Amino acid sequence: MSNKGVRNLFIFGSVFFFLIFLGLSYDTIKQLDKRAPEITEEVNAGKMLWHKYDCIGCHTIFGNGSYFAPDLTKTTVNKPTDYLKKFLVNPRKVKKTAAMPVLGITAEEAEKIIVFLDWTSKVNTNDWPPKPVLASLVQPKAGGVAVYQKYGCSACHVIGGVGGTSGPDLTHAALRQPDPEWHKKHLIDPASVVPDSAMPPYPQMTEEELNQLADYLITLK
Amino acid sequence: MKYQSQKIAQYFYTFAVVLFLVQVLVGVIAAFQFIWPDFFILNFNTIRTLHINALVVWLLMGLMGATYYVVPEESQRELWSVPLALFQFWATVVTVTLVVLGYIWMGLDPQANKVVLGTQLLNEGREYIEAPRWADWLIALSVILFLVNNFMTMFKSKRWTGIQGTLLGGLTFLALMYLPGMAYTSSMVKDQFFWWWVIHLWVEGAWEIIAGALLAFMLMKVVGAKREVVEKWMYIEVGLVMFTGILGTGHHYYWIGTPEYWLWVGGVFSSLEPIPLLLMVWDAFRTTREHRVVTNKIGLFLATAHAIFNFVGAGLWGVIHTLPQVNKWTHGTQITTAHGHLAFYGAYVLLIVAMIYITMPLIRGVTEFKTSRGYRSFWWMTISMVFIVLTITGAGMVQVYMERLLGLDYVAVKGTYNLWFWIFRAIFGFGFLYGVWLLVLDFFKLGKEPVSAASPAVQEA
Repeated sequence: MSNKGVRNLFIFGSVFFFLIFLGLSYDTIKQLDKRAPEITEEVNAGKMLWHKYDCIGCHTIFGNGSYFAPDLTKTTVNKPTDYLKKFLVNPRKVKKTAAMPVLGITAEEAEKIIVFLDWTSKVNTNDWPPKPVLASLVQPKAGGVAVYQKYGCSACHVIGGVGGTSGPDLTHAALRQPDPEWHKKHLIDPASVVPDSAMPPYPQMTEEELNQLADYLITLK
Repeated sequence: MKYQSQKIAQYFYTFAVVLFLVQVLVGVIAAFQFIWPDFFILNFNTIRTLHINALVVWLLMGLMGATYYVVPEESQRELWSVPLALFQFWATVVTVTLVVLGYIWMGLDPQANKVVLGTQLLNEGREYIEAPRWADWLIALSVILFLVNNFMTMFKSKRWTGIQGTLLGGLTFLALMYLPGMAYTSSMVKDQFFWWWVIHLWVEGAWEIIAGALLAFMLMKVVGAKREVVEKWMYIEVGLVMFTGILGTGHHYYWIGTPEYWLWVGGVFSSLEPIPLLLMVWDAFRTTREHRVVTNKIGLFLATAHAIFNFVGAGLWGVIHTLPQVNKWTHGTQITTAHGHLAFYGAYVLLIVAMIYITMPLIRGVTEFKTSRGYRSFWWMTISMVFIVLTITGAGMVQVYMERLLGLDYVAVKGTYNLWFWIFRAIFGFGFLYGVWLLVLDFFKLGKEPVSAASPAVQEA
């Protein structure tokens, strides 16, 4: 093939593939709004704050960003809203060892950011992030462990190395609080026994569930 | 060097290597912040913004410098306007400096990042294209002036060569692909969709076209390869880059809220992306083998190293996690960081360094120059980078296993299980910094020191 021939192949081939790309992009843009919830003014306000604080300079969203801090695509599914609000305003008050600095985010700003993150959590991402393989292998348990699983406590707490690190590690919870009555009070209204607690209250737990969970927690030594 | 106006390249190279040093300096700070987040007065987000923006800007400055050298030579006449090129250079330096000061200001006081005319004043909070809108326009203007100057040089001479046509084609594509990143959209999905037009179609499209053209130029320059042959292979290489790379954008559209057909499109086409990069390696070796006279040994060495690490970093380290079945687990982890580091180093850092070592001696008018520091710089940078990439890859594998498969918490994995990887990465970071320091030193001393008998000669090809 002559040089002119390969040159033309390069030019027209590139144009050909770019046109296919434009066609697919056009189709994609048409579909995007159906794959995500409606964008309200509040969602947009939250997105503007996302840009203002350069959140992507540490975090990732839809897996894209800086890989220095957790991915936030599904944050509102995994963490209670009240906790997130307190954490955004002052991360180090909620968790002493938090790497996130105090950025000066106000309570109103935090609410908008959470609305925005709630929007991203509902986008159809082709099932990403995937559920951990281990989670699908866990057998349903009975008693206090079942209650612990039902209310998703492990989203924020660690027992024996497994779970989230937003809240205190519960591996040795009974050594700090051996009294089941304290645990029951704490579950119904955390702030009544721990001032400024970022944990949400669980008034929806039945008396039986409270007893089972408290009995389980005092075995953690 | 045949034309006085080719000297303008020096300005761009100087700014490029100095920014490279700044980039790696803040990179080392960032590496420490992985171990100790409060290590520095500026938070990680600001440090990382500086790290990646310095990278993009210095590579662009290097590409511009290289173009200002190549175009007069290929057109066989002086550059259309030297004052315009000088104006473009200083205007870019001033803009970049203002943007950097803005980032630092915002880092010290996030509340200063106010919304003015619909966008943030100091930092748009979008990875790689954090530069605020006012700076976007100034950067676009600078690139337009740069393109006008070079195209006018070509038109005036009426001498069209494949190399300069491809080079300027790549640069025009680069300029056009900056535009989709300049509009605001309230949807985070659409935001990322068009963001990838800028990022992916730059590094896996326009920039690779430029790399193909410059590789062809360098091979002609250092071993006296025949134009017809190198240009033919250049067209095949850059053609394959475009045929695989454009639809390869799909590998960024797996999980951001875009339709499922991208899993197929992205998976198939991005898996083919390493092929043209492998062809470039073969091209460099074949051309070298066919020509016995090497006029610039270190130049040839660096050009070949660029081809090899382009293939390894951009090609191999990319293809291992490009299939959706794999990417589902690795997406958003340190595996991506590892790929990013080796790809940028191999594909573009070594490309600019090779262009500097091939054109600077000619600009300074020396036929022989001392090369020992240049080789030392290369080995310090390359060995350090390989180990940086291995430590981050290790951290990524641990992260994928513990976080994605076992369901452990991100913070626990990063803080506890990957700690030693971060420590080793920081140590190798110092090695890389030393290599860059040697490079900057050698850049300023190149051709100005007495030559030992063993050094090779440089002649005009």
